[in-house]
Amino acid sequence: MAQEYLTTPINKIQRDKWKEHIIKLGYIAISIIALIVTWWAIAVIVDKTYFPTPPEVFEALIQSFDNVPGIGLSMSTQLFSSLERFVFGFLLALITAVPLGLLLGHSKRAEMLFTPAIEIIRPIPPMAWVPLFFLAFGVFFGPILTIFIGAFFPILSNVVFGVKSVDQNLIDASKTFGASRLQTFSKVIFPSTIPHMMTGISVGLGIGWMCIVSAEMIGAKGGGLGFIIQSCYSLSLYDYMFAGMVMVGILGILTALFGKFIENEVAKWMGMK
Amino acid sequence: MDGDEVILSMKDIYKEYPKDDEILQVLDDISFDVKEGELVCVLGPSGCGKTTLLRIIAGLVDKTSGSIIVDGEEVTGPGPNRGMVFQDFALFPWRTVQRNVEFGLEIKKIPAEERAKIATEYIHLVGLGGFEKSHPSELSGGMKQRVGIARALANNPHILLMDEPFGALDSQTRNQMQTELLRIQDETKKTIIFITHSVDESVFLADRILILSARPGRIVKEYKIDLPRPRDRGDSDFITIRKSILSDLEQQRKDLL
Ligand SMILES: Nc1ncnc2c1ncn2[C@@H]1O[C@H](COP(=O)(O)OP(=O)(O)OP(=O)(O)O)[C@@H](O)[C@H]1O
Ligand SMILES: [Mg+2]
Repeated sequence: MAQEYLTTPINKIQRDKWKEHIIKLGYIAISIIALIVTWWAIAVIVDKTYFPTPPEVFEALIQSFDNVPGIGLSMSTQLFSSLERFVFGFLLALITAVPLGLLLGHSKRAEMLFTPAIEIIRPIPPMAWVPLFFLAFGVFFGPILTIFIGAFFPILSNVVFGVKSVDQNLIDASKTFGASRLQTFSKVIFPSTIPHMMTGISVGLGIGWMCIVSAEMIGAKGGGLGFIIQSCYSLSLYDYMFAGMVMVGILGILTALFGKFIENEVAKWMGMK
Repeated sequence: MDGDEVILSMKDIYKEYPKDDEILQVLDDISFDVKEGELVCVLGPSGCGKTTLLRIIAGLVDKTSGSIIVDGEEVTGPGPNRGMVFQDFALFPWRTVQRNVEFGLEIKKIPAEERAKIATEYIHLVGLGGFEKSHPSELSGGMKQRVGIARALANNPHILLMDEPFGALDSQTRNQMQTELLRIQDETKKTIIFITHSVDESVFLADRILILSARPGRIVKEYKIDLPRPRDRGDSDFITIRKSILSDLEQQRKDLL
């Protein structure tokens, strides 16, 4: 007698996966198109020079890579200055927030000592630091520090949380093998915090990038996207101002995707996914 | 080693925890010896201090008073002569099976090549050959606990401490793991202290069973199980012992009320 089995052939599973991807892409496309259409509609209804339509901005964006009229600089050099600044600021936040986070998560005394000071500084928006940083550290380091402030706190809190949420059983397991405090730290506590660290990095990348415009507003060495937005505003080049905003948005998405990507890859590499 | 050597000796162990403004007595007057190669099960009502007892032996928790001697030395902290297997496995999720098993050897600073050799040997002993490169998240509960056992054994402890190691497994896997544990003990001749909720499990495994009272845990009875192995759960002697232990535990529950 022939027997029937309930099976799902592997190629059907793969086909379904493809379908899912296409549906996802479809939604992304619809969402972006809806955004552009809404923008267009508002621009037409408002009908003001400070609110250009998407094609005008698109044209300005293309033109800006050659040069932005009235400023005489190209978008690509400005974009590069912004990215460079962002990378410096972010790395500075990373190399300071991680060790401090490990310390605060690990030592109750350090936490009691540092937390009040940190909690007072944390609510001050990165933008509020701009004038001070500009005065104290100049046109190169000042803007970098603004990004640093933006990225620092999310990384710090995630690392502290990571250390505190280490599974006590894993620490006990490590102790039963006779591990020293240092060995338990390096072989158990530190690796356990890595996924949280990646979340902190991912959030920090996003917030740090959001600070880029404020960081460059008063003036930064080599300009930057913030500088383009600011100076096109004062020169009434509104389509170029919008082009600058669009660039900030696009690069923001790329940064966020990059953050998610490393978060996922590290989780996979660590066997957590 | 003639199999009669006392390897662990507990004397008058008393343990209390601070609780709000009072104290919580957890263990009282615990004294027993364990001989080399013995498999001792500890049974008792929930919350009576079984885990605490095991953690005191492991050196993870300090006793309030009393003395514990392992290998002729007073226990003052964790040490490689005692290995522990945890109820929830406590595997390092970012390490592969191989590297989980190598953990204790890394702590001992054994060279990589030798480490790999020893780990492979124990991975095969617990029947996980072929899964060396898997991460714990890819394994079933039974397989995870096999890793837990291999990890503890690879460190070559004199005593294996097991806290309800099969408690998180379904009954079929549980029975299979019990048989496996007996095979592993037969091959490695380890001394094992095994904590369990299951009377059936204790009668199947143990050379000796200690019954603890409700909190504060005291040893109220001791059973020596002489049934030949492999034991048959349907055997009338098995059932008789099982019944007797069950009624002891029932008595403990009644005393509590
Ligand atoms: N670190 C601790 N601090 C305070 N009280 C504790 C601590 N650890 C355990 N206890 C208390 O001691 C008692 C015994 O706990 P223990 O975990 O040893 O019991 P158990 O017999 O293993 O219970 P179960 O069968 O449920 O696993 C419990 O009442 C528990 O609340
Ligand atoms: Mg317990």
